[in-house]
Amino acid sequence: MDPRGINGTVTLQPTAGQLASSKDEPVKSAGEWRLDWWSIAAVVPAIVVLLGFLFLFFYGIFQSLTDLRFGRPLVHLVGFNNYAALIKTEDFWSSVRATLGYAGLAVLVEAIFGLALAKLFATEVFLARLMRPVILLPLVLPPMSVALMWTTMMDPQNGILNYLLSLVGISRFAWISDPTTAMFSLVLIDVWTYTPFFALIIFAGLQGINDEVREAARVNGAKGWATFRYIELPLVAPYILIAAVFRLIESLNQFDIIFGTTQGGPGDSTAVLSVRAYIVAFQNLAFGRGAALMVINWLIVLVGAFAMVKLWRFVRQRVS
Amino acid sequence: MRLRRSTSTSLMLNVLVAACALILTFPLVWIVMMSLKQQSEVMTWPPTFIFTPTLENFRVLFDVAQAGATSYGTIKVDFLTPIANSVVIAFGAVTISVLVGVPAGYVLARRDVPFKEDIAFFILGFRFAPALLVVIPLFSVFQRIGLYDTYFGMIWVYQVVTLPMIVWLSRSYIEDIPKDIEEAAAMDGAKPFRIVLHIVLPLLKPGLIGASLLIFLLAWHNFALGLILSSTRAPVTVALLKLLNPGVQFYPVMAAGLVVTMVIPVVLIVLGQRHLERGLTFGAVK
Repeated sequence: MDPRGINGTVTLQPTAGQLASSKDEPVKSAGEWRLDWWSIAAVVPAIVVLLGFLFLFFYGIFQSLTDLRFGRPLVHLVGFNNYAALIKTEDFWSSVRATLGYAGLAVLVEAIFGLALAKLFATEVFLARLMRPVILLPLVLPPMSVALMWTTMMDPQNGILNYLLSLVGISRFAWISDPTTAMFSLVLIDVWTYTPFFALIIFAGLQGINDEVREAARVNGAKGWATFRYIELPLVAPYILIAAVFRLIESLNQFDIIFGTTQGGPGDSTAVLSVRAYIVAFQNLAFGRGAALMVINWLIVLVGAFAMVKLWRFVRQRVS
Repeated sequence: MRLRRSTSTSLMLNVLVAACALILTFPLVWIVMMSLKQQSEVMTWPPTFIFTPTLENFRVLFDVAQAGATSYGTIKVDFLTPIANSVVIAFGAVTISVLVGVPAGYVLARRDVPFKEDIAFFILGFRFAPALLVVIPLFSVFQRIGLYDTYFGMIWVYQVVTLPMIVWLSRSYIEDIPKDIEEAAAMDGAKPFRIVLHIVLPLLKPGLIGASLLIFLLAWHNFALGLILSSTRAPVTVALLKLLNPGVQFYPVMAAGLVVTMVIPVVLIVLGQRHLERGLTFGAVK
């Protein structure tokens, strides 16, 4: 028996509680003051370590406003010139499209497959209980290893995927070696890797639904599909959305999988913003321009995450 | 309460689960097979499923002295150093993160400090920081202050990955421990420091071990930081990418390298599945 099924109390409340700011006012007595110094001493090292990164983050924004190149002794502030130059190029817009397309498509497909996978494993048939740890498998592998693993399998000449396709009569597919299919192949890799992430979170949501709710629906004559559509789906919607927030942020930032497979090519069909920033900064050695690309990437992540969190809050309010 | 299902439905569901499990595991099985093949067997069409396994690829991967005297010609591979680098950096990063992060997690769970929620979010926010935006300026800073390609520098940079997670997770694990126990001990006159040492820490131990496993995994995964900020101290993920350069005929050796990097994560699943689930889902799964 899988112990999780019995005592696994699975609710989103802890996360939700952490995400919502606590309302209770701190009540301090005189005796607690000494104690607070201990508390502050415990938090400060962590903050100091991370403040270094915050400084670097601002330094990066500053660099994006300069004409810094590797090895150039004199650096000038050029204002928004880097940005102005970027938005005039077609390359930049194709990178923006690639970033949004990759993340949007991957998250959407993963949400759908993740829901299906979670529903399937929530049936708790014999094999589902046995195979539970397998869901975790793609998530624990280094993304770079995943990328290279799929590179070998997607080899157009003697890759295993083309062999499997040939078994069902489909002739050779170009996968990551052709501009028209490269993005699709990358999304496929992302979907294989991160569908389990959605599945785990949605699974937790399904477990949290009270059986009485389902029973009540059945007594009232709801069939299987109706129970799913009108009872389960609205109740797990916040879970799907919170998973989507996390995944959207990470796929908009995705670097490892794309760099490990196509390095932005063929052509620049898969040059998402982060990969282009790497190429511009460390191959063309235009650090200022590279930093500007990353700032834009960061802004996209910020807007995307903010919109998703808003949607999540809205859906959660409607459910509760 | 469980639904009663007919035998045929149940059978179909089992088949579906088996299909999903096959899709999730097949790539790994295939890579393990590839790592045990000879070069000529990888180049054939159709791919072979039955072959005599050989450990030659692993030998090429690790045998520095013999480099050049292999069936792959003069390609030199040093895979042992990157693995050692990864282990040193990951252990160092985990140690520092636990020492610095767990006290912070405790305070953010239990004590009233000003701006508690803001601090917690500030810290978690780094988990989603675009790595390159930090790394581009860091490259020039590291070159200037001499931290480029040092273990010390790498371990510090890895804190951007490991520290936010350990703070967030230890906070979530501490919130699971009933507060009453601590209050009762405080009532009996125990000092806060002793309460933490003798009551909270023993209760926290399993969660802490799980969280440490998870951040070790995250450190092991990292690629971009090592790619840009190190050369001789580069982690194993960077070394993997270099194995791709010689092309298709080198795939079996690369597969052997992939197997080596994947063994540790798979072992970690066996050790702490539940903790990894919790960590990988940011605490949504308990």
